[in-house]
Amino acid sequence: MSDSLYAQLVGLSGGVLLLSAVLIVWRRSISAEVRLLAVQGGALAGLVTVLGVNEGSTELLVVAGLVLTLKVVVLPGLLSRAVARHGASLHEETPLINTTTSLIALSLLTMLAFLVSRPLLVLGDDPAIAAVPIGIALVLYGFLVLATRRHAFSQLIGFLVLDNGIGTVAFLTAGGIPLVVELGASLDLLLVVLILQVLTARIRSEFGDADLDDLTELRD
Amino acid sequence: MNAEAAVLALAQVVAMVSLSPLLVGMMRQVRARLEGRAGAGALQPWRDLRKLLAKETLQAAGTSWVSVAGPTVLIVSSLLVCAMTPLLGTVTFTSVPDDLFVVVSVLLIGTVAVALVGLDAGTAFGGMGSSRHMTIAALVEPTVLVSVYALSIPVGSSVLSQIVAARLDDPASVASPVSLLALLALAVAVVAETGRLPVDNPNTHLELTMVHEAMVLESSGRDLAWLELGSWLRLGALLGLLSTLLMPWGIATELSAGGLLLASGALVAKIAITGALLAGVEVFLAKLRLFRIPELLAGSFVLAFLAVTASYLVVQA
Amino acid sequence: MGLFAVLPIAFCLMLAVATSAPPLGGLRRYAGVVASAVILVSGLALVVAVLDGQTPTAVGGQLRVDALSAFMLTVVGSVGLTATWGGLQPRTGPDATASYQALVALFLGAMSLAVLADNIGVLWVAIEATTIATAFLVGYHRSRRSLEAAWKYVVLASVGVAIALLGIVLLYAATRSAGSPTLSWSQLDADRPPLDPSLVRVAAALAILGFATKAGLAPMHSWLPDAHSQAPAPVSGLMSGVLLSVAFYAILRVQAIAGPVIGPALMRGMLVTAGLLSLAVAAALTIRQRDLKRMLAYSSIEHMGLLALAAAAGGVLALSAALLHVLGHGLAKSSTFVVSGRILATEGTTSTTQIRGLLTRRPGVAAPFLVGMVALLGLPPFSLFFSEVAIVIAGVERGLTWVMAVAVVLMLVIFAGLARHTFAVMFGQRTAPGRGEAAEPADRRAHGPWIPLAVALGVTALIGFAAGPFSTILTDAAAVLGANQ
Repeated sequence: MSDSLYAQLVGLSGGVLLLSAVLIVWRRSISAEVRLLAVQGGALAGLVTVLGVNEGSTELLVVAGLVLTLKVVVLPGLLSRAVARHGASLHEETPLINTTTSLIALSLLTMLAFLVSRPLLVLGDDPAIAAVPIGIALVLYGFLVLATRRHAFSQLIGFLVLDNGIGTVAFLTAGGIPLVVELGASLDLLLVVLILQVLTARIRSEFGDADLDDLTELRD
Repeated sequence: MNAEAAVLALAQVVAMVSLSPLLVGMMRQVRARLEGRAGAGALQPWRDLRKLLAKETLQAAGTSWVSVAGPTVLIVSSLLVCAMTPLLGTVTFTSVPDDLFVVVSVLLIGTVAVALVGLDAGTAFGGMGSSRHMTIAALVEPTVLVSVYALSIPVGSSVLSQIVAARLDDPASVASPVSLLALLALAVAVVAETGRLPVDNPNTHLELTMVHEAMVLESSGRDLAWLELGSWLRLGALLGLLSTLLMPWGIATELSAGGLLLASGALVAKIAITGALLAGVEVFLAKLRLFRIPELLAGSFVLAFLAVTASYLVVQA
Repeated sequence: MGLFAVLPIAFCLMLAVATSAPPLGGLRRYAGVVASAVILVSGLALVVAVLDGQTPTAVGGQLRVDALSAFMLTVVGSVGLTATWGGLQPRTGPDATASYQALVALFLGAMSLAVLADNIGVLWVAIEATTIATAFLVGYHRSRRSLEAAWKYVVLASVGVAIALLGIVLLYAATRSAGSPTLSWSQLDADRPPLDPSLVRVAAALAILGFATKAGLAPMHSWLPDAHSQAPAPVSGLMSGVLLSVAFYAILRVQAIAGPVIGPALMRGMLVTAGLLSLAVAAALTIRQRDLKRMLAYSSIEHMGLLALAAAAGGVLALSAALLHVLGHGLAKSSTFVVSGRILATEGTTSTTQIRGLLTRRPGVAAPFLVGMVALLGLPPFSLFFSEVAIVIAGVERGLTWVMAVAVVLMLVIFAGLARHTFAVMFGQRTAPGRGEAAEPADRRAHGPWIPLAVALGVTALIGFAAGPFSTILTDAAAVLGANQ
């Protein structure tokens, strides 16, 4: 693969990752957020494919297939089925900070990601390393969604964005992690999502709605 | 150089003055056809202008010289914008280049002039329209500046002509993610700046939903003609700028008769396509509630900001 | 010898699958006990092997047993045995269900994998697996409170562990750019590749932050009181007794890898902050507790803070004292949690304001609780006294004098709080006028197996004095961590 094509494809996947994360914070409808999550998973799989083709590593291509199945098909499928069971299209009723403030916070977090990534740029000069701040930005955006949303599903989506960010950093800096660890991490992620779904269903049947602000009985 | 630039500026002014009313007519016609109406024809804005210029200009009681000066300032600023932005060619004056900040400031002068006209009559609707207009303008300016700045980073200069010339030289930069993000943000900003859906409905007759229309309620005759033509010129110039940044081909880099003809044809095609697209999309959109407009504009600002940071981050080989 | 490394993990996995087989029926409730016993036996066998100078490996080097791993495996086994055996309920109790036993077996297996893994990535996977296994155990009672506790636990623990993954990924990137891409610390220890310090600094900070969340160190501790108070008593015993220590073990391993590259300053600063904050949180909130199990959870936060301070101090004395503390705390805490479960079963509540005079009314249940609390308060002859004193002395020796002074003051405050609650429950007079209870004879029944509690508390009392091979294993384990810094 030629250098400029490689750089452009890395830039394109990074751009789609970032754009989907911004739209996840922007949109209020949870079913739209799940679709955007699938798009984000697809962009991550595309990034891994580009890296795999560039390095000629079949292991990376296998991992790309794994990421594709997990993050584009399985997880969004699970989530959309759970959302459908939950009821008509959910809107985030009252997030803790309004949309405009979250969007401004996104700009600040992007700058923070750029600053935090400075020590990581020692890893090299190629376009993959230069795109690492995108991964760190995704991690921070995931944190923002986790911290400022009340609905159980929104927190789950924030956690998945965080995980996508960590995956992006992993693939950009090190060409991924050893296959065994990658498999274990994917399995763990799947199980955590399943657990959180079951807990959401139980919370809903116990409390009547999955608004996590109702869970305040345990305090000192 | 300066003589060439003057000729080009004149040519651009002439082109835009003749094309903008046609553009608005075409957009209204596209919308009408999509909505199942016959429409008034693409030449209707010209007919409106002729009618308005022939009518007597009335001043509302209590207005001042602002109601006369405002429309004049608007039309002059719109003509200046048409002269400066690289619509037909990228040749500029050496002493007054069409720098991004100069163009945005001239646009802002026109914005403020219209807002003052709306306030001058002392009516409730006029004041409401002016305050909404200025709110939207305040939110849009940062986005316009940052998105064009993002495009200027690879070029190293914020002169619009040089940005367009650089994009003409390097076609790959047109499709880069930085450019796409920045142009997406700029498109949202242009929609807000020119008062199109979903920010403002130009065809509304309900005063409480008006933004631009409310400010011109008290104007008539020649004043109204200048106000209408001024806003059409702004629409034409901004759509022309957006489409030139998106598709720079056809622009004349040096002055020649053939080049200018080709550029004019290209410009007609570009703003026709962009205008038709915009009108078509408008059919499917509803006007946003006023307090959701800051969300939309904040989102476009974030996209522009991301374009800026991305252009620093992703190394272009 | 490598067989003993594979045995605990494989056995636990098999048990987890087997508990769902119908024919086992009534034997199902012993699954956790059997699993812990196997782990303990393997641990002791591996300790003997390590003291002999061997370093057993298995699964092509993925499992590697050095002194520290063998010791931690023994801790997992002994605390597990105490909690599961002591927590055995009568035949109709809730722990007879297959899912509960399967989850407990998986939990124990995951912890064994975590301490035996040679690869820090596999360690991460195992620790995340413990979160998964305990998620439904915490929410087992399906009440509103336990659902809330389970949700907070899963979200916070997963986010914390995800941050640790980011740190591990960056560490891997550093090894890759230094030419030897690996996550195995035996290989890192042997090769010592020239890792980039600034990158390793970020990686170590993130990894320690992530694992500290799982270890319940402040300010990431907010899930701990809820999760440990809402889970069934044996599960709380397991979590407080040994899961927190396994997360602490991960911190120690990260520290050992990163120490030679970036020096002790950053990690020492982080661990001192976390340790003092944990002690402060425990000191501030222990006195306000009105629930026995929640009080015990805050005591866990205190002890983990102390362990963090020991890790910050570094050196042979501090680290071997920390490992001794891990064992002593694990045994004492699991025993106390198990007895708190019995208090809940007999009294119907664990509220410190409602239970009074327990020692006179139910000495069979109150006596083990009292002994366990005396151990947790750090009084002699229990080993926690010796390990806490050793940690303080080591801290002063290594230049953390003021830190240790503040820590001692906070520990005294916690001591006062815990003692007050314990005395109120044990010896207080009921404020309500006795209606006919004065004639009730004292309930001397233990309401559960007393052997595991006696053995656990007895071991805690004796190991403080034991010399010989026991102290050798501790110093060997400390040496593994590069305590010669």
